[in-house]
Amino acid sequence: MTVAPPNPELSAIPSAPARANVPVELATLRLATPPVPPDTCVIDVAQLFLDASYAGLLSLPIVTAAGEPVGMISRYELMRVFLQPYGRELYGRRPISVLMDHEPLVLSVDTRIGDAARAIARHIRSPITDDFVLVEDGRYIGTALVLDVLRAVEGRLAERSSELERAYTRLKSSQAQLVQSEKMASLGQMVAGLVHEINTPLGYVRNNVEMTRGVLADAAQLLAAQQGALDALLGGEFVADAQARLDEVELLRTRVDPAALDDIAALLDDTLHGVGQIGDLVLNLKDFSRLDQAGAQKADLNQLVASALKIANHILRKRGVEVVHQAGDMPPVECAPAQINQVLLNLLTNAAQAIEHDRGRIVVATRAVEGRAMVLIQDNGKGISAENQARIFDPFFTTKPVGEGTGMGLAISRQIIEQHGGAIRVTSAIGQGTRFVVVLPLRAPAREAA
Amino acid sequence: MSEALPCVLFVDDEERILRSLRMLFRGRAEILATTSGREAVELVRKNRVHVVVSDQRMPGMTGVDVLREVAACSPSTMRILLTGYADLDAMTASVNEGEIYRFVEKPWDAQRLLATVEQAARVAMDEFAAAATRVGESAVAAASPASTAEHAAAHVLVLDEEGAIAAQVRELLPAAVAVVHATDLESALEALATQDVAVMIAQLSSADGDVADALKQLKRLRPAMLAIVLSSLRDSRLLLGLINEGQVFRFLLQPPPRELLRRALIAALERHETLRRQTRLQRRHEVEASVRAPATTISARVLGAWRRLREATVARIA
Repeated sequence: MTVAPPNPELSAIPSAPARANVPVELATLRLATPPVPPDTCVIDVAQLFLDASYAGLLSLPIVTAAGEPVGMISRYELMRVFLQPYGRELYGRRPISVLMDHEPLVLSVDTRIGDAARAIARHIRSPITDDFVLVEDGRYIGTALVLDVLRAVEGRLAERSSELERAYTRLKSSQAQLVQSEKMASLGQMVAGLVHEINTPLGYVRNNVEMTRGVLADAAQLLAAQQGALDALLGGEFVADAQARLDEVELLRTRVDPAALDDIAALLDDTLHGVGQIGDLVLNLKDFSRLDQAGAQKADLNQLVASALKIANHILRKRGVEVVHQAGDMPPVECAPAQINQVLLNLLTNAAQAIEHDRGRIVVATRAVEGRAMVLIQDNGKGISAENQARIFDPFFTTKPVGEGTGMGLAISRQIIEQHGGAIRVTSAIGQGTRFVVVLPLRAPAREAA
Repeated sequence: MSEALPCVLFVDDEERILRSLRMLFRGRAEILATTSGREAVELVRKNRVHVVVSDQRMPGMTGVDVLREVAACSPSTMRILLTGYADLDAMTASVNEGEIYRFVEKPWDAQRLLATVEQAARVAMDEFAAAATRVGESAVAAASPASTAEHAAAHVLVLDEEGAIAAQVRELLPAAVAVVHATDLESALEALATQDVAVMIAQLSSADGDVADALKQLKRLRPAMLAIVLSSLRDSRLLLGLINEGQVFRFLLQPPPRELLRRALIAALERHETLRRQTRLQRRHEVEASVRAPATTISARVLGAWRRLREATVARIA
C-alpha cells in the first residue's frame, strides 16, 4: 500500500520564520503539515509517523477534501492500538477516522498568543500527546506545537518583566529626583524669604550708620573748631585770629543740625535692634537646620515650633496672618529635629497658603497626651474638600498651579512622621479651615541603620 | 530754599526703614511715609507725589501692586522699587505692569539712592508743571493714545537669529508699520543708523553678551526708542541691569504668548509716539551709566557699526 503523497499545495506553504524582538504571533508558529484525509487507512498513517520529516510532530491533522479539520490522530494513540494483542491486524485496514480524536484543539490563526496559551491550558491532557490545528476562516492551514506556544509565552513574559523592571527603576529614580526637587523648592522659598528678612534690617542699619558717620564727622569738626576758638580766647593773645575762629565755629554750627543729633540716639537704637534681628535669624537658621547636630536626639518640641514659626515668618507676615502659639508643657521628644522642622515648616506654609482673606489666623498648639507628643496646626483658610483630603498625602498630588507645588510636601511629611513611629491626620471643612494633627511617641522607635 | 521741594512717598512695612529714609531725605524732600500699600495709593490720589519708593514684599499689597495702581492714577509720578529680595516674576511684573524707573536693592547706598530719587523728582516736577500748563490747550489731543494709523512712519526692528520672532511681529502689526529684521547685532546697528526705529525687539540668549550691553548703550543714544526683550533666561541680575541701565520697556519670557507680545508692541508704538511729540518725557527713560563702557565690551566687529550709529545720532540731533 502506498502512502498518500503529501498534498503539494499545502506543503508549498512556507512556514513563516520567527522574527526576533517582534511579539510572536500564532502565524509565525505555523507548520505546513500535510493533512491526512479521513479515509486514509491506519497502517498508512502509521507509516507517515515513521517518516523522518514528521519526527517532531506528536499528531497529524485529519482534514476533509473541503479543507475542514475533523480530527487528529496522535502517535500516542497509534502506539496504544498497536501494542494491543492483534491491534495491528484488527485496526490496520480500517480508516483513520475510527481512531482519531474527534474534538481536537482548533485555533484560528489570528488568535492572540496569550489566548492560545489559555485555550491550550484548558484543553491539554497529561501526558501531552497532541499538537493543535490552525485554521483561517475555518479552513485548515497547518498545525502548531504546544511547546512552541509555551516558549513564545515565556519569551513574552521575560520581556514584560524586564520592561517592568526598567519602568520600576525609572520610577524610583524620578521619585528620588522629585523628593530632591521638593527639598530644593522649599529651600529656595526659604532662602528667598530669609534674604528679604535679612536685607530689610541691613537696609536701615547701613543707612543709619552712614548717616551717623556723616553727622559725627561734622560734629567732630565743630568740636575741634570750638576747642580752637576757646583756646584762642583763653590765651588772649591773638584777638584778630579769635574772631576768625569764632566765624568758623558759626559756619560749622549751621552744618550740624541739632535735630539730627537728637535723632541719632533713636537711629542707633534702631540699628541695634536691626543687628539683633539679623543675629536672631542666623541663630534660628542654624537651629533649624541643626547642621551641627547628629540624627535622633531629645528635643523641645515647643522650641522646634518657635523656630519653624520664625523661619516661616516672611510667608505669614506677607499674608498678614495672626499666629497663636499655645505651648503646652512637654517632656523632651526623641526625634531628628531637622526632619521635624521640615514637617512643621511644610504644614505652616500650607496653612498660610490656604488663607485667602485678610483675617488669617493660625493656631499652633502643643500637648503631651499619654506618653505621646501632639502638635496641632489649625488655620481658618479655604479648607480641603473631602475628596481631596483622601489624596493630600499621596505623592505628586497638588492643588497648586503647575510649577508651584511638587505635590511631594505632605507625602514627605507623612513619611518622616511615620519613620518616627508617629502619625499625621487631617480634618477640614470647606470655607472654615483645616487642622493637621501630628502625634509623635516620646521615645523614638529603634530604627535600622540606613 | 528758593526751589519748592519735591514730594516723595516711601512705602515699607518696616517702620525702621521709613524712619531711616525720612532722616536721609530730611531737608531734601517733602516726605510722606506709610506701612500700608492701600494707604500709599490713597496718598498718591490726594497729593501731588513726585516719586514713590516702595518695598516689594508687604502684607496685603505687594510693591508691584502699589506701583501699578500709582501708574494708573498718577502717571507722572515716578516709581522706584526698593526691596531686599524680589524673584524674577516680581521683577518682570514691575517692568511690564509697574513700568518702574529704577529697581534698587536693600541694603542701599545712601548717596546713590539720594541721587536716583532726586533725578526722578526733577523729571516728575517738570512733567507735573507741563501738564498744568497743557490743561488749557490741547489736553484732548495729548491725552488720546496715538491710533495705529499714526504708527505709519515708525519702524520696528527685530533682532533674532532665526527669524521666527520677526515673522510673528510682522503678522501681529498693521501693514503700515515697517518691520526690519536683523540676524545679528552688527546689522541691527546698521539698521538703527540708517532708519528711524521706534521699537526694537531683541532676543537675548546670553546674559552678558553684546546684545544686553548694546541695549543699555542704545538707550543713552536714543532715549525715545523702546526696547522689548525676549529671553528664556530666568536671570534676575540680567533683568536688574536691563531696568536700571537699559530702561527696558517690556521683558517677556520666551516663548511669549501671542496676545502679550501684541499688546507689548502696540503699547511700545504708542509710547514712542508720545515721546516723540513730547521730548521732555524722554527723560523718564534716562538710564544709569553702565559700569562698563561699550568700547571695551562690544566686539571689534560691531564697533564700526556702533561708531556710524553714534555719528548718525549726533547728526540727527544737530
